[in-house]
Parts: sequence; structure tokens; C-alpha cells
Amino acid sequence: MSMTKTEQAKVPKESDRMKKVDFKMISFTLAGKDYGIDILKVKEIRKAGNFTKVPNTPIYVRGVDNLRGDIIPIIDLRTMFNLPAETKDSASLENIVILRLDSLVLGIVVDTIEKVVGISSDSIQPPHPIFGDINIQYINGVIENEGRLYIILDVDRIFGQSEASTHTAPAATAPEQTSVDAGASEAVIEAPTGVQVLPLDLQFVGETLAAFGQFQLSPLNREWVGSRLAEWKKSRQDRGLDFQLTQKDEADEFLATFPSPFTGRLWSSEAATSLAKLMSFETASLVVWNPGCGRGYESYSLALMIQTCFSEKNYKIWASDNDLLSISTAPSLILEDEDLDLSWTEYTVQAKNGLQFNSELKAKVLFEFHDVNHLNPMPEVHLAVMRDVISYLKPSDQDKLITELSDKVRLGGYLVLGTNEKLSHPDWKAIGNATWSVYQKI
Amino acid sequence: MRVEYINPFVEAAYNVLTEVLATEVKRGNLFLKSATKPVMGVAAIVGLAGEVEGRVLFDMSKQTAIKIASVMNMEELTEIDDLVKATISELANMITAQAVTKLHELGFKFDLTPPALITGDNMEISDQEVEALIVPMESPHGNIEINVAVRERS
Repeated sequence: MSMTKTEQAKVPKESDRMKKVDFKMISFTLAGKDYGIDILKVKEIRKAGNFTKVPNTPIYVRGVDNLRGDIIPIIDLRTMFNLPAETKDSASLENIVILRLDSLVLGIVVDTIEKVVGISSDSIQPPHPIFGDINIQYINGVIENEGRLYIILDVDRIFGQSEASTHTAPAATAPEQTSVDAGASEAVIEAPTGVQVLPLDLQFVGETLAAFGQFQLSPLNREWVGSRLAEWKKSRQDRGLDFQLTQKDEADEFLATFPSPFTGRLWSSEAATSLAKLMSFETASLVVWNPGCGRGYESYSLALMIQTCFSEKNYKIWASDNDLLSISTAPSLILEDEDLDLSWTEYTVQAKNGLQFNSELKAKVLFEFHDVNHLNPMPEVHLAVMRDVISYLKPSDQDKLITELSDKVRLGGYLVLGTNEKLSHPDWKAIGNATWSVYQKI
Repeated sequence: MRVEYINPFVEAAYNVLTEVLATEVKRGNLFLKSATKPVMGVAAIVGLAGEVEGRVLFDMSKQTAIKIASVMNMEELTEIDDLVKATISELANMITAQAVTKLHELGFKFDLTPPALITGDNMEISDQEVEALIVPMESPHGNIEINVAVRERS
């Protein structure tokens, strides 16, 4: 019943959105493809030709033209974008869109000018990272209208390049920009390296990371991505490379410093003790939730921490992962000698395949093949540990899980996130340190 | 679903199907599902109780059910009659029982209910409360999906 109700509620909303027209653009074609420019940037359209050639200019500058007494530069967008342009004899007229940008009036030559298209700015989709490395910066988004796909050009960025480097991020404050998470990303991040990270850069990198690395930019990890991007930009510039991520291994390299300490191995006993010192529990028994446990190192580390630092407590750890291969090996994890902190040797036994944890410790951890996005049939927990898990869920699933955490963790209970993940939520108080990102439910 | 439960079900399904069909069966990739799922036409359900709660559902098309029942009974059957229904119920019982036996050896105590058989068109199964593990089995007589939804009593 409840499902049908919400569906009904959604339907009229959807159609409202379709009808709302708050963005108009001039549509035109370049080499047979449809493009659009925000109508507020367009002064007029006209036909002109026989431009006065200006020597020593880039190849895409066709020359200057006299627009009723104003001398304006004429730029051939097709040459600029490396698209084929049919060569017309100098006498014939070209289709010109005259743009008025902040301080500049200029004309662009296009193939044909079509019409004015009214759309809803909500339905503009952000450009996909695979569009390319440089051109993506010049695209506001993509929109489908009456069966045709229009690429909306960001003319401020295309023609405002030289100013962008001297002024403080004029493009970033352009009003027509449609950012998926505009609300959260106004701030320009100034890194110690002196390299600026614009909100738009952050958005592009976020989208690329989602496409290549399944990593999802969100308020949880924005701070890290921002400072990492500044660092990345600096190191790429030093090597003379563009900072955009174009391949999977670049995305992997970018993310290499994201994982928390002790990812994929057992914690050291000092690290476990330092985490334990941040927490205190009143009840005699503890329930711990550890989704995304991978091969189980984290879950066993937690068991060892409780065993040594909260020795009087009875506890149970619910660990799960949606990777069948990793989770299958977790219940009988084989330990390498170098993995293991010496003070924990007493919890291990020599089995026929190698060193394993003893059955007493194993009995405390329940490993499940489970997707955290599905229903989590858990009792209330005292401690939830999900380091570097939420950042890899879709933004909507992230919100859902954070809400669920507020429900599932008892008052006064704790949540441990990845070292580079920061949660700001009224239900949670940060009590962590440099290694541990710990939050207490308040 | 607890990791230790997965293999007994997969192995039991493989063993029993290979044996009764006397042919090669293949296991597809396991996956998890929590949303409503269409049922192919014939579904046998065996309930599980004890330390856990849940059920196992064997889902196949009518055509597959008839073919499998024909092979198991060593006679040509053409429609979903009582014999086909009894045969499919028995198959479900055999697989689940073997899985439960394996689980018992590992120290998990499960009880099972007698199988119930459901046939019809355009059916759906809803598991709002529990996530199901889907084990697809492919045989020359058609595909069988084994849908295991088990959770710990908490």
C-alpha cells in the first residue's frame, strides 16, 4: 500500500518538472551535430561575410567585422573545435551568432542556426567524463529535447579563458551553471600549494571518479577530494599534464591516498587501543555492525580490540560484504605472520592451511553475504564501523544509509568512518583524531 | 545471508540435480536480490526454521518442470498434472534436505517444512523483509533458479 501511495505522489511531480521552462537556448549545428547556447548570452543573430582578416591571430579567428559601427572579432567555432567546415568563397555570407559576454561582444560562425528551444534547467544532464579531457570544461551539460540531443556550450568558459586566470574564478560564479550539487560546492578551495580548485573542477573530477573508480563525491569526502585535487593539479602541472582524469589508472592513482590506514590488513594493537580509548560502553553486551568488511581483516581487528580493551564485555560482530569472493574467505581467514601484531598471537591457532584465528574469536564474528543497500535486519547496534564504504555508494544510497545509521546506532553509540571521510549531521558529534574518524550519536 | 550457508545450498542443488537428471548441470553467478521478483511459472517453497528463519524457493518455467518431471519419472509427461507437481515438490525437498544435512554437519541446526507447490502465470514474490540469494542452475532441460532467503534470529 505504502508503495503505491508514494508512486502516485511522484507522478504529478514528474510531469510538473517536464512542463517547467526556465532555460532558453539558441540551437545551432556544427558539422551536423546540435548545440545550444544560453539565450541570455546571445545579443543577436545575423548573416555576414567578407570579414577583415587580422594578421598573426589563431587560425580560428576569421577576422573582424563591423557591426553597425562596433568592430567585433569573428571566431569560427568549427575550426576552434576541430570540426570539418565547408569552405565558402569569401563573398558568400556565413551564419553568425553574436554573443554578449561580460566585457566582450563577439561573433561566432556556425553551420546553421535553428531555433530557440525552451527547456527545464533541471533536466540538463552534466557532461559525461568520457566526452574528452579539455572540451568537457566548455560544456554546461547535455539535454534531450524532442528527440534531439543538444550540447550546451559554456561560452563564458570558452571565451573567458584569459580572464579566468587573472580574476578569481569568474566562470565558477556564472549564474546559468547547472551543477548537480550546486548547493554544497560554492567555496573555492585554496590549497597551500597555491593552486586553485574551482567547484566546477571538483564536480568534473567527482564525475570521472564515479565513472572510473566507483568513488562518489559527496559531502562526506568533499574535503579530501578538494585537497587531493589541489595536490594533484600541482603535481600534474609540474609534469606538464592536464589535471583531468581520462583513464581508469589515473583515477586509481588519484584515489591511492584515500583508503584509511590498515585497509586490507589487521590493525596494530596500538591503533586498536587508540580507537578503544575514544569510546566507552555502559552495557554488558555489545553489538557491532561492520558492513563492507571485505576479506574480514577489519572485523577480526574489531573483535581483537573488544577482546583486549573491553575484556569484560560480551559482544557480537555482524560483518557483511557484497563481494562474494572476498566474504567467502573471511570466516577462515589465513593469516600471514607479518600481518599479525605479536600481542595477538594468543588468539590464533595453527590450522592445516596456515595460521587462523581461534574458534572463540571466530564465533564472535558473523560474516554475511549481503548488500548494505538492501534491508539491514539488524538489532540496534552500539558501534558501527564502515570505513571507506559509504564513499563508494551512489549519492542517494549514501543518504539512505546515513539516515539508517542514525536509526540503528543507539544513543551514545559510535560510528567509525574512513580517515578521509567527514560527517556533518546534527545526530552525530565528531570525537575522532587524525587516524580515526569517530562520531558519537547524540 | 551468512557466508557459511551459501555453499551447502549450492552444493546440494548441484549434486541432486546432476544425480536425478543424469546430465551435466551448470551453476550461474550467484547474486543478491531484495526487490519483488517475478516467478517463472512453477515455484516450490520449503520453509526453514530453527536457529534461523527463512525459506528456499525453487523457481522454473512450466516447460522446464514438465521436462524435469519426465526425466525423473522416466516417462513422457505433457502437462502439469499431479505427478509433475509431486515430482517437483520432491526435488525441492531433496535439495533442501541435503543442504540442511550439510549445514547440520557444520553445526547449524535448521528445521524444514514440507514443500508447497505453486503454479500459475504472472506471479510475483515479494521479500520485503529479507534479502534473497539467487543461485541460477542451468540444465539441458531448462533453468532453475534457487532463491534462498535466510536470516539469523536476532
